[in-house]
Amino acid sequence: MSSSATGKQSQAKANWGVSYGEMVWREFVKSRLSAASLIFVVVLFLLAIFAPFLANDKPFVIRVDGRLHFPLFRNLRPNDYCVFLAATVGIFQLLLIRRNRRRIDPSIRGAVFWRQICISSSTILIGGILAFVFVPRRLDATDYKALVASGEASDAIFAPIPYGYARTELKLREQPPSRRHWLGTDDVGSDVLCRLIHGSRISLSVGFVAVGISSVIGIFVGAILGYFGGKVDFVGMRIVEIMMAIPTFFLIITIVAFFPRSLLNIMIIIGITSWTGDARFIRAEFFKLRRQDFVQAAVSLGLPLRSILFRHMLPNGIAPVLVNATFGIAGAIFIEAALSFLGFGVAPPTPSWGQMLSLGVGTTGRFLWWLTLFPGLAIFFTVMAYNLVGEALRDAIDPRLRKAV
Amino acid sequence: MSTYIVRRLLLMIPTLLGITVMVFAISRIAPGDPVSLAMGPGGQMDAERAADVRKARMQLYGLDKPVHIQYGRWLWRVVRFDFGDSIKHHRPVIELIKERLPITLTLNLIAFVIIYVVSLPLGVLAAVRHKQFFDRASSVALFMLWSLPSMLVGQMLIGYFCGPTFKNWFPPAGLSSNYADQLPFFPWLADRLWHLVLPVFCLTYAGFAYLTKQVRAGMLDNLQADYVRTARAKGLSNWAVIFRHAFRNSVIPVITIMATLLPMMLGGSVIIERIFSVPGMGLLAFEAVTTRDYNVVMAVATIGGLMNLIGLLLADIAYAIADPRISFESSV
Repeated sequence: MSSSATGKQSQAKANWGVSYGEMVWREFVKSRLSAASLIFVVVLFLLAIFAPFLANDKPFVIRVDGRLHFPLFRNLRPNDYCVFLAATVGIFQLLLIRRNRRRIDPSIRGAVFWRQICISSSTILIGGILAFVFVPRRLDATDYKALVASGEASDAIFAPIPYGYARTELKLREQPPSRRHWLGTDDVGSDVLCRLIHGSRISLSVGFVAVGISSVIGIFVGAILGYFGGKVDFVGMRIVEIMMAIPTFFLIITIVAFFPRSLLNIMIIIGITSWTGDARFIRAEFFKLRRQDFVQAAVSLGLPLRSILFRHMLPNGIAPVLVNATFGIAGAIFIEAALSFLGFGVAPPTPSWGQMLSLGVGTTGRFLWWLTLFPGLAIFFTVMAYNLVGEALRDAIDPRLRKAV
Repeated sequence: MSTYIVRRLLLMIPTLLGITVMVFAISRIAPGDPVSLAMGPGGQMDAERAADVRKARMQLYGLDKPVHIQYGRWLWRVVRFDFGDSIKHHRPVIELIKERLPITLTLNLIAFVIIYVVSLPLGVLAAVRHKQFFDRASSVALFMLWSLPSMLVGQMLIGYFCGPTFKNWFPPAGLSSNYADQLPFFPWLADRLWHLVLPVFCLTYAGFAYLTKQVRAGMLDNLQADYVRTARAKGLSNWAVIFRHAFRNSVIPVITIMATLLPMMLGGSVIIERIFSVPGMGLLAFEAVTTRDYNVVMAVATIGGLMNLIGLLLADIAYAIADPRISFESSV
């Protein structure tokens, strides 16, 4: 009897130091499938970040007339710098979160975390602006491979896939997979593998930015509706209803077709058409939370509304939004692919999976299977990985949610 | 119940108005208009005459008025069930929709019948073999099918089966061969079915996952219920317990799902209809958007929105009819 009681006690003690995030993480890694899909997502991220180093027609190093040149680094574009900066800051932030867990007192950990997030994101923002202002946009049309072949240059180290994503080489068009072009070439002679790797950037950025926009709108609207209730809620819910009843994909193609083509437009449109789920969830959650003591206490302390809503209430209702966001990324990637498949995506030399896929059945009637299969599989695996991560996250956060969705 | 339905129907009006206002605003705020798209850069016409032609055509379509007056006129017409003429086809929009709707409807009806026929037994079997090999394997397989993008499947099918490159088994486009309407009925039907195989396949494979999951979840709930244990204790055969008791109860919510699928059934799939050149609602919407056929765009948005709202209402009503424990007064 007494031994079982002490057993319970020690178990309770062991569990005491485990934070919510850690609990979710442990639950998440239990399943091999979800761990595998998380690894896939990370690999995809690395591919997107290091795309210019993996697939580029410029060599890392080349010796011309006895002098070393670094064409690849010289030709990095401002958005490459933005990506590197964001990746560095992101990794640094992750390390900081680990460190916080050991060093910072739990009572102020949240505040420290939010301050760090603010600093990180503003660093990325400022760095990005600086990159776009100060990094020159070069147009380097030198054919380094020809230089090496003719013997004018030596000691060249090329990227593993030594082709640019915007190459047009009509002699080499529509070639099936071979040793030179592992996944074949497309209708203008570009290497498919190279375009796939660069295309992952478009997909991931659309996924994340669109979901960011929709989560922010959803959280904001849901918080206001749920907190105030009454007339505000009635009017707001009519708007939410309108957004839900609109045929979404039709609305998206309408906007994309009517407004000028751009990646930002696509992100914004997907974002503003997919926030209703989050808004409804947060609203329902805030309805429940509003009556709880800690919220009443915050109100009676005279805290500003912003603080009540987002500091005190939101952390209690954010988990489902996180799960929703993971599915949202999969959805946004799919919608972007569908849009570019229909011809509404980013303009051609920029690689996009959906657009590449559509080239497989050309006007000539020949079926270029490698042009359809590989981008299609890229979309398939990416969407599936995010969905699997989402499901695992949902089960880890709250098994009861499994039925609701 | 009737007061509830009337209330829901009344609430539909502002929602529908909101949808039309939004789509109308988007189409008019966007730069460019159908007239300049149709006229192109101008060609040989001198500038003055081009401006005159432009003006005349803008007047013809009523695009020269301020936006709110355009909207008012449009609304007044729609109230009388007149969606105006298509700018591209020079025919009433209603006529176009009457032509296209049956095509999409046939396609989707066949697809849904197949989905139900496959998913019901799969779901039941998965629930009966809960946590056994079949359950796991089928759920993984269906999840993968569900994640397969329709663009990939459609393109692969049309490229592999309909082209000069590999097999030439199926027609690459349309719903019937040339002069098919001169055929007698059964050859005509065979021809039509031959054209429908691939698009219907594309429409079905993703649906299996969703429906099977619902059937399985419902069956699992019921198989664990007390009345099933009672039935087993009575000594009924396994078959009778599963199909006479549990299945009957779990099939009701699955049928109500059909109501929420209504809009999808009428709206059609833009991607699949475009890949297989099926002249249905999805392709109509796509063409309207690319040619800025304002009247068609508005009609598609309005009808689509209405169908969504009706689908939601029907689903709620069906739930309540199927399950008397749900009352109308507590919802809304």
